[in-house]
Amino acid sequence: MKPGGPMPTRTADPRPPDKYPGRGRYPSYLAFGASGAFLMISALLLIRGVWALGDGGAAWDAYRGALGHPISLVYHGVAFIGLTWFALRLFRLFPATQPYRMGPIKRPADAVLVAGLYGVFFTVLAVGTLFLGGALL
Amino acid sequence: MVDVSRHDVVIVGGGGAGLRAAIAASELDPELSIALVSKVYPMRSHTVSAEGGAAAIARDDDSLEMHGYDTVKGSDFLGDQDVIQYFVEQAPKELTRLEHWGCPWSRNEDGSVSTRAFGGMSTKRTWFATDKVGFHMLHTLFQTSMKFGNIDRYDEHFVTKLLVDGDVCRGVAALDIRTGEVKAILGKAVILTTGGGGKVWPFTTNGNIKTGDGMSLAYREGVALKDMEFVQYHPTGLPGTGILITEATRGEGGYLLNNEGERFLITRDYGVGTKAELGPRDMISRAITQEIAAGRGVEIPGKLGRYAHLDLRHLGEEKIMARLPFVRELSKAYANVDPVHEPIPIRPVLHYMMGGVDTDIDAKTSIDGLYAAGETACVSLNGANRLGSNSLTECLVFGARAGEHATGYIKGASVGEEGPFVQQAEAEAARVDALRGRQRGGEKVSKVREDMNTAMEEGTGVYREQASMAKAVSEIAAIRQRFEQVSLDDSSKVFNTELIAALELANMLDVAEAVTCAAVLRKESRGAHACSDFETRNDTEYLHHSLVFHSPDGPRSEKKDVTLGIWEPEERKY
Amino acid sequence: MSQKLKKTFIVTRFDPDKDEVPKTQTYEIEVEPDWKILDALNHIKDTVDPTLSHRWSCRMAVCGSCGMTVNGEPKLTCKDPMSDYGDTIEVAPLANFPVVRDLVVELEGFMERFQEVKPWIMVAKERAVEEGTTQQSPDELADFKQFSMCINCMLCYAACPVVSNEPDFIGPAALALGHRYNQDSRDEGAHVRNEIFRGEGGVFSCSFANECSEVCPKSVNPSGAIQQAKLGNVIDWATSFVVKRGGDVS
Repeated sequence: MKPGGPMPTRTADPRPPDKYPGRGRYPSYLAFGASGAFLMISALLLIRGVWALGDGGAAWDAYRGALGHPISLVYHGVAFIGLTWFALRLFRLFPATQPYRMGPIKRPADAVLVAGLYGVFFTVLAVGTLFLGGALL
Repeated sequence: MVDVSRHDVVIVGGGGAGLRAAIAASELDPELSIALVSKVYPMRSHTVSAEGGAAAIARDDDSLEMHGYDTVKGSDFLGDQDVIQYFVEQAPKELTRLEHWGCPWSRNEDGSVSTRAFGGMSTKRTWFATDKVGFHMLHTLFQTSMKFGNIDRYDEHFVTKLLVDGDVCRGVAALDIRTGEVKAILGKAVILTTGGGGKVWPFTTNGNIKTGDGMSLAYREGVALKDMEFVQYHPTGLPGTGILITEATRGEGGYLLNNEGERFLITRDYGVGTKAELGPRDMISRAITQEIAAGRGVEIPGKLGRYAHLDLRHLGEEKIMARLPFVRELSKAYANVDPVHEPIPIRPVLHYMMGGVDTDIDAKTSIDGLYAAGETACVSLNGANRLGSNSLTECLVFGARAGEHATGYIKGASVGEEGPFVQQAEAEAARVDALRGRQRGGEKVSKVREDMNTAMEEGTGVYREQASMAKAVSEIAAIRQRFEQVSLDDSSKVFNTELIAALELANMLDVAEAVTCAAVLRKESRGAHACSDFETRNDTEYLHHSLVFHSPDGPRSEKKDVTLGIWEPEERKY
Repeated sequence: MSQKLKKTFIVTRFDPDKDEVPKTQTYEIEVEPDWKILDALNHIKDTVDPTLSHRWSCRMAVCGSCGMTVNGEPKLTCKDPMSDYGDTIEVAPLANFPVVRDLVVELEGFMERFQEVKPWIMVAKERAVEEGTTQQSPDELADFKQFSMCINCMLCYAACPVVSNEPDFIGPAALALGHRYNQDSRDEGAHVRNEIFRGEGGVFSCSFANECSEVCPKSVNPSGAIQQAKLGNVIDWATSFVVKRGGDVS
């Protein structure tokens, strides 16, 4: 946090936070940031799937077939862990980021917010699994 | 050669009064150049520590006359009544202004500003922002001051001397703490707003920066210090640290108890009548002191002495969290007590100086171009005892007044010939350079300060005796001599806090001299000056302000008339 | 007197007149068990080494002067109990700031960013005192109250990895303060501050490390403020194409 202009006396350079990056809460945060990459890649894959669905049955079957490729399976295994980590940290911190009032209603209790988040998370997971498994078509 | 900068108004001190003065001057004339010089970043100023509230009439059941009478009576009839009338009229306007600037005043359900009860006030007229009122006022003022483009801040600059030639003041010499260089900051008017000098005493609510700097600066230039014998002991400080527990605890319904669990302000006669815990501070502090002296104090063996209990438990957690969250935070962190479940240990603690730089109702001193406001000044609003929550408002009312009058004054003034003022600043630079890292006798700053603290506590406590005050006078004179033999270890220029501590100690010794000198001469008991040898008020001989002037041969004292008005002095009983 | 304890303080020292880079100095002292870290530093200054420089004033956790690094964590030293630590305690200046001397850090960079967010009530037309106070319900007050509690102690800047890596980042305390005014029912300047917020070093530089809120000694929750400001900013940006913004405010 240096000033824009020159400093009137010689100063010692700023040092980074003592525990950054390997200790304290920082590793958890860095893993959270890194797992954002899985979020992006998986979102792209999802868009590709919606595209395939629009192109007709053959394209959709090919898309689902590609998902079954060993590389895809490994990726999705790792991505699942990454996204779960992302969700866990986000959900833990989420209530404190919410304002005192959301429009006309007061912020619900933290437990309610967290329960809602996990509800959405597991619902999306279940619906996605069923959909890709063909059970919903 | 010292660095010279030129402004119109130079304000020394960046707390409530200084910031208000700067904004007032800036609003009156956006073309003015205003220098705000402070030894700390403004948001560190001690205004930040005020907790309970700021007084101004706000309710239908209140009136200017009631606020005026409460203040006069609280002052034990030593407040100037013209000043008090002006103050109570301006008070609601000032607090409203602060509301417009964003101060987060606590609110009633209907959206109006909420008020609470306070000691010596006959109705609820203390505006509050939970129990961090000084903090919110200071930050509101500081942040608001940033929108004015003509306020130049000199942060972490310690003013060591007023530049006075003949009887006009035209700027200050200031030590840039960062570089160690002394600068001349010239202006056509100077306003002192540096706060009080609570650190003259050892057990105080005051922060480290409260060293009476403005009082000393004016005193050395021949301006009188007025009513210095009147220092306020706040009834409720935490034992050991002296950290303030606000009077709002009692305003919200808290009880004071002795070791028998007895509400002694009700069961015994301490002159506060049915006001009980909401009596004025001087009386409550004496009551606690007497309870402890009579063996009814609570005691932790061998540690922090005896004290009384402040009981908030009956208020309940919800009210404590809504109205007094900071008190809970402080009690937990500094006394290991949760007021929701246990009473808070408290004892009287030095809090505020009613006295200060003698000014008239326009905040003007006896030197042309020199003004003072806030705790530094004695405009005679508070007389012999200040009512809680009047001082934050005082900072606003008289800070603004000083800013306005200084602005008016400079219309017809010019700096004139700069030479003499710059030469003074150069001499000052040489003096400060000689002091930095000075090796002389074997005295240490911290030891001299400690001995001054002890002498002041023994001589000018809640109760005073002629003998102990006379002893303090001679001890302070001797300690002033010892200061000349102080050696300093730190010879570095950059951020030399030992040098600052030495300069502050010199200022505090001036304040200590004036306090003891004025105290020993007042042979009566009035307001906060409770004299064991003269237990009653004596209007025949002592219904006057006391002035102390600096001189090379020791302090010189004079009397000054009190401005009376519609309220005749009467026995002060509640 | 209670039993005194022996402690070893390892304190960072730096005097630009003498030292090329900061070094450490060790002090063996006796402390009271109920002292705070600041009490020990003042004890060292008063009785062992008067050349030690540090900032402090109120010693009651409200003036914000005495932020330092204690055993690797940013702490408000006047509120930081000795009993939380073992026999050896390391005290260093706050991280992420240039060091002026010993435990004193350069604050000018912060002061510039503080002013940048326009931390004052902005209105098109200033209200006259004669109009009286503005109505503000307890709920409207609660919308911003938490974010008005910042004491500018700088712990959040010292903990933030974005401050370390992005020189232009306005940073937690200043952004939270800007958001405090945006949330105030009396203010009309949110669209002006939102432009600053979405500019270089604004709210979108924050990567939600949440360290600011973890170390804040006053529970201001700057991280929460910044996440809210991000959402508010997106909404403000999107609606700006539909709804015309208010006139000039100051």
